Amino acid sequence: MADLAANNMIMQSPLHYLKGQYSGTVTANAELGLTVTEIQQGCYLNLRGKAADQDFAAGIQTILGLSLPTVPGTYHSHGSTMACWLGPDEWMVVSNHAAETLQAALRDALKGHISIVDVTGGQTQLNLRGSSVPLVLKKAGSYDFEAWSADGASVNRCVQTNFAKATALVSRSADGSFDLTIRRSFADYIAQWLLDASKEHGCLIQG
Amino acid sequence: MSQLNRLPTSGRTDPSQIINFAFNGKSYQGIAGDTLASALLANGVNVVGRSFKYSRPRGIVGHGMEEPNGIIQLGSGAATVPNLKVTQVELYEGLEASSVNGWPNVNFDLMGIIGLFGRLMPPGFYYKTFMYPQKLWMTYEHFIRKAAGLGKTPVEADPDTYDKINQHCDVLVVGAGPAGLVAALEAGLTGARVIIADEQSEFGGSLLASNELIDGSSASHWVASVNSQLESLSNVQRLRRSTVFGYYDHNFLTILERCTDHLGLKAACGPRQCMHRVRAKQVILATGAFERPLVFAHNDIPGVMQASSVSTYVNRFGVAPGQKLVLATNNDNAYRTALDWQSAGRHVVAVVDSRSSPSGELVARVRELGIQVLDGCGVIEAKGSKRVRSALVAPLNSEGTQVVGAVQNLACDLIASSGGWSAAIHLSSHTGAKPVWDEKIVSFRPGESKQQERSAGACNGTFGLSDGLLEGSIAGAEAAHLAGFGDGVAQQPLPAVNEVVEQTQQTLFLVPHTKSTSRAPSQFVDFQLDVSAGGIELAVLEGFESVEHVKRYTALGFGTDQGKLGNINGMAILANALGQSISDTGTTIFRPSYTPTTFGAIAGRDIKDLFDPERYTAAHRWHAEQGAVFEDVGQWKRPWYFPQDNETMHQAVNRECLAVRNSVGILDASTLGKIDIQGPDAAEFITRMYTNSYLKLASGKCRYGVMLKEDGMIFDDGVCACLADNHYLMFTTTGGAAGVLAWLELWQQTEWPELQVYFTSVTDHWATATVTGPNARKVVAKVCEDIDLSADKFGFMDWRDGTVAGVAARVFRISFTGELSYEINVSANYGRHVWEKLIEAGAEFDITPYGTESMHVLRAEKGFIIVGQDTDGSMTPADMNMDWVVGKNKTFSFIGKRSLERSDSLRDNRKQLVGLKALNPNSVLPEGSQIVNDPKQAIPMAMQGHVTSSYYSANMGHSIALAVVKGGLNRMGDTVYCPAADGSVIAAEIVSSVFYDPKGVRQNG
Repeated sequence: MADLAANNMIMQSPLHYLKGQYSGTVTANAELGLTVTEIQQGCYLNLRGKAADQDFAAGIQTILGLSLPTVPGTYHSHGSTMACWLGPDEWMVVSNHAAETLQAALRDALKGHISIVDVTGGQTQLNLRGSSVPLVLKKAGSYDFEAWSADGASVNRCVQTNFAKATALVSRSADGSFDLTIRRSFADYIAQWLLDASKEHGCLIQG
Repeated sequence: MSQLNRLPTSGRTDPSQIINFAFNGKSYQGIAGDTLASALLANGVNVVGRSFKYSRPRGIVGHGMEEPNGIIQLGSGAATVPNLKVTQVELYEGLEASSVNGWPNVNFDLMGIIGLFGRLMPPGFYYKTFMYPQKLWMTYEHFIRKAAGLGKTPVEADPDTYDKINQHCDVLVVGAGPAGLVAALEAGLTGARVIIADEQSEFGGSLLASNELIDGSSASHWVASVNSQLESLSNVQRLRRSTVFGYYDHNFLTILERCTDHLGLKAACGPRQCMHRVRAKQVILATGAFERPLVFAHNDIPGVMQASSVSTYVNRFGVAPGQKLVLATNNDNAYRTALDWQSAGRHVVAVVDSRSSPSGELVARVRELGIQVLDGCGVIEAKGSKRVRSALVAPLNSEGTQVVGAVQNLACDLIASSGGWSAAIHLSSHTGAKPVWDEKIVSFRPGESKQQERSAGACNGTFGLSDGLLEGSIAGAEAAHLAGFGDGVAQQPLPAVNEVVEQTQQTLFLVPHTKSTSRAPSQFVDFQLDVSAGGIELAVLEGFESVEHVKRYTALGFGTDQGKLGNINGMAILANALGQSISDTGTTIFRPSYTPTTFGAIAGRDIKDLFDPERYTAAHRWHAEQGAVFEDVGQWKRPWYFPQDNETMHQAVNRECLAVRNSVGILDASTLGKIDIQGPDAAEFITRMYTNSYLKLASGKCRYGVMLKEDGMIFDDGVCACLADNHYLMFTTTGGAAGVLAWLELWQQTEWPELQVYFTSVTDHWATATVTGPNARKVVAKVCEDIDLSADKFGFMDWRDGTVAGVAARVFRISFTGELSYEINVSANYGRHVWEKLIEAGAEFDITPYGTESMHVLRAEKGFIIVGQDTDGSMTPADMNMDWVVGKNKTFSFIGKRSLERSDSLRDNRKQLVGLKALNPNSVLPEGSQIVNDPKQAIPMAMQGHVTSSYYSANMGHSIALAVVKGGLNRMGDTVYCPAADGSVIAAEIVSSVFYDPKGVRQNG
């Protein structure tokens, strides 16, 4: 625990310097159109393997406590861990566990042709909530997020898609808000874009 | 009473709200609900512009986007908007507008008085008159532009914000007239996601100016009721002031919504306009129709208007644009205008109908009111200058091709004309559907559809109201059904309409004159560009036959109105002159945009800082705090150099370069592309990609490699490290990262799927600090205790895992400077912390942060190439004097190997990488300079190659350059020359490309 505390002192999330940034003309009392919160996750692991391989699936189930989603555009979660479908043999695992621990456990449990890559330093997550989220998503790209609320399978949806001129892994959480998993080097651009895109409705990057 | 043409009946306007505005510098008043056009007509403003070529005075003709004459400049300063149509500008308090045509002003037009100018401009005028001499074209163009008086774009930056949003729907309905409204309602009731867009300020389309009863009450009442039903449906999105301007493949359509334009320039809050990019499963086009004017002599005099427009001004805006009306028609429908005019309390002089003995219900109503109907006659000419004073009327033969009797002069101040209706097939045309001419309705109809769309109502050639409602209703239910909603059967009963039966119209476009078309006064077809019937006939006489050629030769339909009024008449006149049918002649192809679209809306918010993403490294803010000057490398911002005090770039770079060679420097190398490669076949796969072999590379070791495309030419380079069995880390160039990953995936997925290997980009994960220079080891030792840094334990091209500044790190002994180097990689979350600790540790050695410019100089001193700078896609490894990197004995081939054996790849006078040393040590050769053997040779000189990299090297004390020279490797010691554009010549000696530490001792440290 001491190590973790020390780590927190010296680590910097990609958008630490934007906390408290506000755009818009909305008065202080008015409801914010968009609240952006950068979420600190324990780790992000890129996982490759064959979903049909029984041993692979069993190993994942043992370590992560979930089965890997095989339906495109969905994620499975268990506790603080989620696995997002990125491709037929590729998933993004986001978890509160430390990268080294989780990676070691997975390596122990999984055999054969697989790949586990720690990409923790290269990612961050932004939670978007507020009344202008649907509009902001429509401005960001051509994916039809409205359809997620329209059809029956409206839970556990995610998609890796264009976001403005960058990319994002967009997922909808159980409470209806949206999470963007984005690349570190594009984080500033995406944050500035969000501040601009929802200026008319007020946008706060929460501290 | 300033608004002399304002009627007591207000239509859809509100007389209680006075609005002040100015036109051409003069103040006027209008009322809420007015367009600029209706307000100008209410104030009796006759002349709103001057024509393009002949500079004739022109008045308002139409009431919508078809208006050819009322083209204005709105506002002033940064927010000024050119070339708007008066009929589309909603009036707001303080509006200021001026005509774009007319110089010095519309009422006293110098060009018009000179008059002669028009005679100088026959069709094909540009081609005939101003082609030669070519160098004078700029002079001509300046004169023509001034004479033409097109609008002016603002010179300041646009102060407005524009939005761009992506929409998805099951059914998109274009147009909210009667057919569109019922279609949207039927589709909406099924639960389908519906968007209905209309360019007007309110829904209703033609019904906004209609006197007809629907379901027993007024048309506007019915519109209001449908509108509120639509409003109550949460699955229906209604877009007003929204023009669908483009219909592209895969049912992708674009809509321009004018959000705040109607509020005025000052009231603007929020985005001014919004472009909707819509992907629709099904589309219903209900875009209506345009009335077609009759073409007669001097039909361009102010006071000649569209019959339907006159009715619209009377019924919708409560404005009667004149006193005494002559109505020219070839159909029943236009008789409504005579009825409307009469009921407005104005005088109808006569209805001039080209048909003999018309007998429809509307005709009867007109006759009952005692209005004179001159049947079998045509208005052959309008008289007047700035306003119609009379109409010349003459009997015509039954075909409408000849004047067959005496001409009478009817005094009037308004001529309304109607030649029937043309379906608005533009959007259907955008899809590639070829319009079909229908003799029966004298209009094109939409051709066979190539998309998931259908047309309903007038745009489908169905001009009657009840038929249009029926079509709309069917279309709505059908489209929803095809999108997966409802059973395809309309749910609502059709509204009841008492439709009058109309008699057949006459097919008449050009009304004959007593003189032949070529001798008669101009009979205008395209008002905005002054194309006359005579001009079209002349084009045919000159040999033009295709409608597309005639269009370009005469400029028919080239104006900002895109010929919405003139095109069909023009084609009909062309067909007649060619002696063929309209369907054989065909129409020109309509393309997006349907109406002019602002660039701002197309750009949206992707402007200024958000034009292109800026990618930052973890230590970016540290660099900025130190005053680094940044350079764009792809989308990355990389420190270019770190100036101190008032240093110039040159001074800073010299200082940085000396520091690296004499003590220690530090570079942020985080932007290099990094790809994690895992799998039992990883080594085999990598070996096929690079020119050298990785099969025997042991864990803990690195190797430099070059990648070729199939043509044998260098495409990327970098170091690849073996991390463990079946696990590698590949470095790519900063700019090449995405391309290399795609390249690996391409070969794995399409050519070698049997190789078991996975690739994952880890570029963003790692932050990299390169500590380099003779004191590098001492600096790293201060912050790293768990790696044995001694040269024999951790040698050049090795890597080790360890802890740096308390953070897990992977350290590589790779060098791009030729000095002892440690590339320290940590998870980017700790990137800045580790960077700052290294700076702290290096303080006693005066550790110097350096940027990309110094990096370039240092590597050039060592003769290390930069792919993309010293190579250009036509260089082999041998050309770069890097044969050593090509593995000749690999069991499996590598990409590009075979091409290296082509005779052209092997010839000995290929351009080869060499060093150049200017004879004057202080002159720096310009990069890109061409190299010749003999500077006195006559042009064209024999080019020997060019300079690829060139710098002043503070370490060497003279300038250095890398160049590619034909057969250069065998020309050491030769003098070559770089002639510059200013006539000066720099002489240089060909030397080895390695200027510094040629034995490579220092990097082994």
